[in-house]
Amino acid sequence: MGTLKDAFSFGDLPASERIGFVLFIIFCLIFPWFWGGFAQTVMIKFLLFCLYGLGWNLIGGYGGQVALGQAKNVGMSAYTVALLMVWWDIPFWVSTPLGVIVATVESFILGYFLFRLRGHYFAIATIAVSLVWQQLFINWDLIGGARGVELPLKKTPNFLYMLFDSPIYYHYFAFLLVMGAIFYMNWFRKSKLGYQLRAITSSEDVAESLGINIHWVKVKAYCITGVFAGMGGAFYTVNYNYIDPFSVMHLELSIMIALMTMIGGAGSMWGPIIGAMILIPLDCYLGAWLGGSGIIGVDFMIYSMMVMVIAAYEPKGIWGIIEKARRRR
Amino acid sequence: MALLEVIDLTKDFGGVAANDHISLEIQKGEIIGLIGPNGAGKTTLFNCIVGYHRPDRGTVRFKGKDITGLKPFQTNREGIGRTFQVLSISGDLTVLENVMIGSFCRTSDRPTARQEAFEILDLLELEKDAEAHLTELPVGTQKRVGLAMALATNPELLMLDEVASGLNPKETEEMVTLLQEIYEAKGLTLFLTEHVMEVVMPISKRIIVLDGGQKIAEGRPHEIANNERVIRAYLGEKYVRGRKDRGSI
Repeated sequence: MGTLKDAFSFGDLPASERIGFVLFIIFCLIFPWFWGGFAQTVMIKFLLFCLYGLGWNLIGGYGGQVALGQAKNVGMSAYTVALLMVWWDIPFWVSTPLGVIVATVESFILGYFLFRLRGHYFAIATIAVSLVWQQLFINWDLIGGARGVELPLKKTPNFLYMLFDSPIYYHYFAFLLVMGAIFYMNWFRKSKLGYQLRAITSSEDVAESLGINIHWVKVKAYCITGVFAGMGGAFYTVNYNYIDPFSVMHLELSIMIALMTMIGGAGSMWGPIIGAMILIPLDCYLGAWLGGSGIIGVDFMIYSMMVMVIAAYEPKGIWGIIEKARRRR
Repeated sequence: MALLEVIDLTKDFGGVAANDHISLEIQKGEIIGLIGPNGAGKTTLFNCIVGYHRPDRGTVRFKGKDITGLKPFQTNREGIGRTFQVLSISGDLTVLENVMIGSFCRTSDRPTARQEAFEILDLLELEKDAEAHLTELPVGTQKRVGLAMALATNPELLMLDEVASGLNPKETEEMVTLLQEIYEAKGLTLFLTEHVMEVVMPISKRIIVLDGGQKIAEGRPHEIANNERVIRAYLGEKYVRGRKDRGSI
């Protein structure tokens, strides 16, 4: 009971945050009535990245561990769902739990070994492992190799396989996932694990002196992050109907997830959502706008500028600026 | 049976023996002071007992159980709490949250942890700072927060590393009173390293002196104060010549 109460109670947050949250819900609910086409595509991508970001915030924000390998967990789950559907016609609701388990088990094994490393070395190791996995998927012909996997056509709307013609279904599905993630995070930030992770970020030596098994706590948090990535990956597959190692396994995706959370404010409840709100539309519209003109890489120049500004002025991101302004008042 | 037994403990750092065949025993309910000049190996000994360092040789027993080489979180679960000379934690968490993290090692229930944390804050007269962030507080209060965090893990043996360093004389006096209060309220065993004699001398039942990594003396405070070897090795020529500043070494 206490758990549920913690998850659904936002009472400890200031009124402005609660109003913001309600407005966010209303905006998401009415969005499809007013916008369609490209805007709807961007919106779904935004929700998907909210899910990734909220998950990454656990290990990257609260836990302070710069893990740059979310894409491989997204990819493994996405491939599990896609391949099970292509090979044996297994419905989404059966393959998704399996995909999430695959992503989580990988997180556990990797986390168990890599959390022997600290700080930058951990970040580098996660990048290295991601690159290895991507190469493996590109060269593995059995699972489509570099060509990727395309989902079979089904009669739509199909709730068993979660295949739809209209993006509106995906919009609401993604919205439900994000809401679930938000409620989970709302519970998490008040939980024992949440406190312990923040203690580790604060100082590993002090955390250890307070009876916290820092290695185990980090592994646990990394697994939960894997669950989020796995859910996102499963959603990705049915939403886009097509996956390849460049879309779901790419390091760029890992970096995007981390970057967006950091810009929004790592280690805060709303940071990942704010980050996604800024970065995803920027990414989509810049891509659409510049893509035709042949100028490649301008979006990355803009991101790197943002990172430098954040690193120099406010390491806690946009949420940090908001908090500072609030404290001054 | 002794609460803590250290038998023949040795720790080398690249050829320099920071702890050289040290043996000591602490009985339940004692207050033991560990003194010695800078670099005598006090903090190393603490770190070897708690588990930040793994001793090269020797055994550490707590309540009869061999805890040599256990990690700090494991020794904490056995019942050893420690404070740090400098509490270097980021200011993101409030005092209350930091103390709650200590309580969380015995319970998973947030209201329970919160209540326990408040009880400890109350004991250390920190209630009014509960919502403050550590970096906003003066050093004296920070020291008490460190103490509160360690106490929240409900230890049987509390190891205090330089609890009075950086405090002014008045704060030092308050700290001594506070330590005595905690000792009586919680039925703890205290093991403290200290530079400031005003802390160790009045409350310690027994004092152990380290110099150059070796244990050079052990005894009651007045015995130590008159021990020739200690005076020569630790208090130095100044004391022998009877200069006035002998009180603050």
